[in-house]
Amino acid sequence: MTCKSATTFALLSALLLTAASAGAADKKVVRLWQTETEPQTLAVLNEMAAAYEKTHPDVSIKIEGLAWGDLEKKLTAALAAGAPPDAAHGQPITCVSFAAKGLLRPVEDLADSLGKDNIVDAFRGLCRWQGRTYGVGHSPASSLFVYRKDLLNQKGLKVPKSWDELIQVAEALKETKDGQVVRYGLTMTGAPLFINIGVGELLKTNGGRLFDDQGRPTLTSKPVIELLDFYKKLNGVLPPGWTGHGYLDTFANLANGKAAMLYQAYGRGAGYIEKYAPKEIADPEHFAVADKVVGPSGKLPAAQLDCEPWMVFKDAKGASEAVDFLKFFFKDENYVPYLHSVPIHLLSIKKSTTKNPKYADNAMIAKWRPWVDMQEKYFKNDWIKPVLVTDWDDMKKPYLLEVMGSGILVDMVFDAVKGMPSAEAAAKAQKRVEDLLVQTGYLKK
Amino acid sequence: MASLPGAAAPGASRALARPRRRRPALLGLAGILPALVLIVGLILYPVGYAIWLSFFDKHSFFPQERWIGLGNYVRLVGDPEFWDSLWKGTVYAAGTTALQLVFGVAAALVLHRTFRGRTAVRALVLFPYMIPTIVAVIVWRWLLNETFGLVDHLLVAWRIVRQPIAWLSVDHIMTSLIVMSVWQFAPFVTLSVLARLQTIPLELYEAARVDGASAWARFRHITLPQIRAVIFVVILLRGIWMFTKFDTVWLWGEGAGAGAEIRTLPIYAYMRTFTYYQAGFGAALSVVMFVLLMMATGLYFRLFWRDEERT
Repeated sequence: MTCKSATTFALLSALLLTAASAGAADKKVVRLWQTETEPQTLAVLNEMAAAYEKTHPDVSIKIEGLAWGDLEKKLTAALAAGAPPDAAHGQPITCVSFAAKGLLRPVEDLADSLGKDNIVDAFRGLCRWQGRTYGVGHSPASSLFVYRKDLLNQKGLKVPKSWDELIQVAEALKETKDGQVVRYGLTMTGAPLFINIGVGELLKTNGGRLFDDQGRPTLTSKPVIELLDFYKKLNGVLPPGWTGHGYLDTFANLANGKAAMLYQAYGRGAGYIEKYAPKEIADPEHFAVADKVVGPSGKLPAAQLDCEPWMVFKDAKGASEAVDFLKFFFKDENYVPYLHSVPIHLLSIKKSTTKNPKYADNAMIAKWRPWVDMQEKYFKNDWIKPVLVTDWDDMKKPYLLEVMGSGILVDMVFDAVKGMPSAEAAAKAQKRVEDLLVQTGYLKK
Repeated sequence: MASLPGAAAPGASRALARPRRRRPALLGLAGILPALVLIVGLILYPVGYAIWLSFFDKHSFFPQERWIGLGNYVRLVGDPEFWDSLWKGTVYAAGTTALQLVFGVAAALVLHRTFRGRTAVRALVLFPYMIPTIVAVIVWRWLLNETFGLVDHLLVAWRIVRQPIAWLSVDHIMTSLIVMSVWQFAPFVTLSVLARLQTIPLELYEAARVDGASAWARFRHITLPQIRAVIFVVILLRGIWMFTKFDTVWLWGEGAGAGAEIRTLPIYAYMRTFTYYQAGFGAALSVVMFVLLMMATGLYFRLFWRDEERT
């Protein structure tokens, strides 16, 4: 290549590069982080983004799927680095915490676009701070108690209704062969997020609270001590390695017949059962759902509300575009395929969509109807609360995110499980939470 | 003395020579400037900023900060979690470094020998060091799951154990993490030692053989002294890297639940910064970690360096 042609080539390349980067720079990039990571859901979301971009050529939608358990940490790291996405899912307590810290843009316009009375009643106050709405849930689900109906019937066991009955049934369902356990009665995850969820949920079924009206932790109260005693008993019937089992491991245990009951199941478990359980038993007749068990000091069942609100960051450059895209997301022609990507887990937050024949026209929903009905029963009875929330008033406490992230409640449960007397584990955690709240300025000494 | 026409005055010649001398110095400076900028920007500034931050009560993502002097350090001394994480970090670093050394050196000695398929085996041995940590962790967590994992299945089938071992539970999570980490990082030791073994003159071994030295004697009196310098460096580097290891440890246990049993100092510093949102306290933990490593390195050199120099 001569010197002249090399120069021409270099100049042309530079021009092309400049033109390409100018083209990219013309588009406003809107980044959304969300927690639905199953490939089929990501495919639906990407198709949705492409469809939106066709009518909005000046906007580029980038959707990233994040693991549920990592979301808060990644959001915090992004905020610390000064580079949060434009919009993101968050736990309801994350949304409230961020709203209280002034990090979010109100999204009444988004909520209004769904229809004021169209949002399912239980989820209207999912993320409100000082009278304003800062989050709209993408789709609600409740945690579920799933058990193998056929195995209970074989052994003449009744569905457990109380904590003690759960332990007894779990022991009775345990099966051994040649000295080896071939099936455990119960499976639960020891992953930190789910221990936090379990603490809130079980405490609610035991009539307890994590914080009093003044915002002080109540970890030394009787319902919490009973909860820790219950975890000690659970430790005796769960697989020996349950403390290291992840969320998906427990689904694998249930679907593969390694466990007969799963306490912290979710609708998406139906998909795993369809995929991994023997075909002849992969149905709700074998994998049945029941009310969650109630503690000795409680009266009503309780479950965890799994419904991350969409949050829009106040300083995001693409905040208004993000809201516009989310309005597009909630339109039935886009929302229904999204819900159908994980049919029993992604339920509708809009009343109108639930009534839409296109939504109901789904083989999985028809087959696993009892699982959907159970979740709707929890919604209607208001038996569901977000993680660490035992009373809707707790949503006014902006520090639940810090309490969850600190792992103090998880440590409390594990201290008890490892053999520390429950009262001592509770007292230790009480002091640590108080210290944390004092250090962060939420509580006076 | 009259000066010759055209000749510059002595003062003037000095003035002319100075820029000429300066030019190479400036060129040299310009040459090292990119490296200097990188070192200052990516090493000195973050370290300096972390030290500065450790004197403040600072939220992780708000600009406000409050000067508290040594407050974070005072709090840290009285914090049982700090001491606990320091102990766990030391156990993890010492355990993994020692085992990496044993297995790494043994593998290097085997791979130094001539046998069929040696090249393929050498490439395979390096494999764990090259795969991404997240992949290694996912695969190992699956292998070690006691309800459906392969390891327990084989241990029970071969009657090595009567009941599956719950590798990922509170009781065994540190052991399983050490096993996994040794598997992942021992190839570094193998590679370093193997490189040195290949430079030892064969004449030394031949002479020893002629003198009737046994295999053990040859290893003790020839191989070991020759690889001592490499081992000295490898222990130092691996010790530092394992003490500050974050990704593998975090992915193995997430710092809570059973993971609390492997909540080492880097994990605790991360948690304080990003889950408690206490950036100042997190920075103080990082500074303490840095100082501890500097002290340990100084002690290590003081105890062993002279020997190495002689070697």
